[in-house]
Amino acid sequence: MSREVSARGSITLPAPAWHVPRRARTFLFKASLAIIYGFMLLPIVIVVGAAVNAGEYLTFPPQGFSLRWFVRFFESGPFVRAFVFSLRLGALTTLSSTLIGTLAALYLVRHASRYREALRMFMVSPLLFPAILTGVALLIYYYGLGMGGGSYAGLLIGHVLVTVPYVFLAVTTTLYNFDRTLEEAARSLGASRAKTFFLVTLPIIKGGIFSGAIFSFIVSFDQFPISLLLKGVGTIPLPIQLYDYLRFSFDPTAAAVSTISILLAVAVVLVTERFVGLESLYWRTGR
Amino acid sequence: METQAAPAVREGALEEASRRRRPETLLMLVPAFLLLFFFFVVPYGYMIYVSFMTHAAARTFVRTFTLHNYVEVIWDPYHWQVIWRTFGAAAVVTIVSLLLAYPVAYHLARSRGQRQGLLLLAILSPLLVGVVIRSYGWMILLYNTGLINTMLRQLGIIDKPLPLIYNMFGVGVGLLHIYMPFMILTITGTLQTIDPDLELVARSLGAGPAATFFKVIWPLSLPGVFAGTILVFVQAVSAFAIPILLGGFRVITAPILVVQTVIESFNWPLASAMALVLFLLSVAVLGIYGKIMTRLMRGIAA
Repeated sequence: MSREVSARGSITLPAPAWHVPRRARTFLFKASLAIIYGFMLLPIVIVVGAAVNAGEYLTFPPQGFSLRWFVRFFESGPFVRAFVFSLRLGALTTLSSTLIGTLAALYLVRHASRYREALRMFMVSPLLFPAILTGVALLIYYYGLGMGGGSYAGLLIGHVLVTVPYVFLAVTTTLYNFDRTLEEAARSLGASRAKTFFLVTLPIIKGGIFSGAIFSFIVSFDQFPISLLLKGVGTIPLPIQLYDYLRFSFDPTAAAVSTISILLAVAVVLVTERFVGLESLYWRTGR
Repeated sequence: METQAAPAVREGALEEASRRRRPETLLMLVPAFLLLFFFFVVPYGYMIYVSFMTHAAARTFVRTFTLHNYVEVIWDPYHWQVIWRTFGAAAVVTIVSLLLAYPVAYHLARSRGQRQGLLLLAILSPLLVGVVIRSYGWMILLYNTGLINTMLRQLGIIDKPLPLIYNMFGVGVGLLHIYMPFMILTITGTLQTIDPDLELVARSLGAGPAATFFKVIWPLSLPGVFAGTILVFVQAVSAFAIPILLGGFRVITAPILVVQTVIESFNWPLASAMALVLFLLSVAVLGIYGKIMTRLMRGIAA
């Protein structure tokens, strides 16, 4: 075995039949990477391009720069209403799920002893079930309760349900990396439990809470299946309004609305970067 | 010595104490528990209950036990056609996304510093854009009078528009775009744990690039491939937004059929039975896949 290896190592190997020169291979590899990255970013670039294009439809070549579609958006009642509604729903969802998720994370890491794994699975289970089926189950259940399908409370509960796991995961992660001797030091120096929590614990787990909250907001703001099933007459979130609009028209007003949403997401990412670093975005996707 | 003896708190004592007594800490769990119990566990339980009830046109269902809904789901060939289409599309999307994601993940895992950060940002940023907006981007590109068809026509390559949207192709492209980042990030995670020296060792021992890849890198990355393919498949099977937006109700998948049965035919018992069968089928497929993959991975470890 070893003789064979050393013998092979010393001589040049015959080239395989499909052999491509090394430089050409590197070039091909780089080119296919560029195509895949291009594929990932293309639709987003196209939407932004359509929003600032002057023409009635996105044609090639583009017909010059214009902000008229943004003006059209601000003049359009349904879109502005849906946008404002989504912001409000997102804010209320974030507030509720951050509170509920953080408390549950603190309990799990600090106080749960038995059933800890089961409890963790239970807390993330809304992520493991398809959102569309959860939406259907909630809709039927709301009718069973006599609430009906289109109530604001029902929609809000649906949103909180699918965002709580994100906060829970983010906060448990920071809690596990937490140096508990800091709390013990505070307690032994005479700080009360409440004081220790607010002056020591909270500032340290702030990053986890913050990134959990950011994800709650984004997931709520972009939520589609739950919103589609639980929307009501006066409670139409932006993605649903956009969807209804796109069924009848491709006019670039929709592109302007989308661009504003994208800018909002970019702002959110920059804020996250600023406060907690981009690495905190990583865990969500690798869940 | 005195100062050392003074603190009564032993290392880890606080942790033990907080865990042992203080039943009132359980209050912290109450909001989450109530939410998940009453709006997650009970609704799914209710769904199971409804799936055994009898459909009635006037009031959606009457409380008479029946197995009819399951019989209908299982015996109707149309349902199987839809389920087959859904699972087939999900499998194709999973395989294609694995093939495309692997080189990207490999490159990403070997990049360093700021370059890696930028590439990571390029992969993560589509995740922050809502599914409707991304579908809209694809609509502009793939529509009959969209960018791609117009350009190809102006260049004289085609004279009839290519059917790129409102069919399986459009849905596949949309699903691929949505779920690729998950595949890339999961595989990158495993590839990063593989020591780059292993590759050098294999090469210096005379293995060609292909042999190095198939005998060293690929087997070691199987856990990431396993996790990534599961993540993409599960999501693709239950995808709803992309199939309706890019399939335009001409490509009916199982989740669409469930929703149509709920909000158009108002047949809640049948819809519930369909949802549960879909759910159990995906669990079964994953179970079989998991068995095969663990055997594969064990074969490599041995």
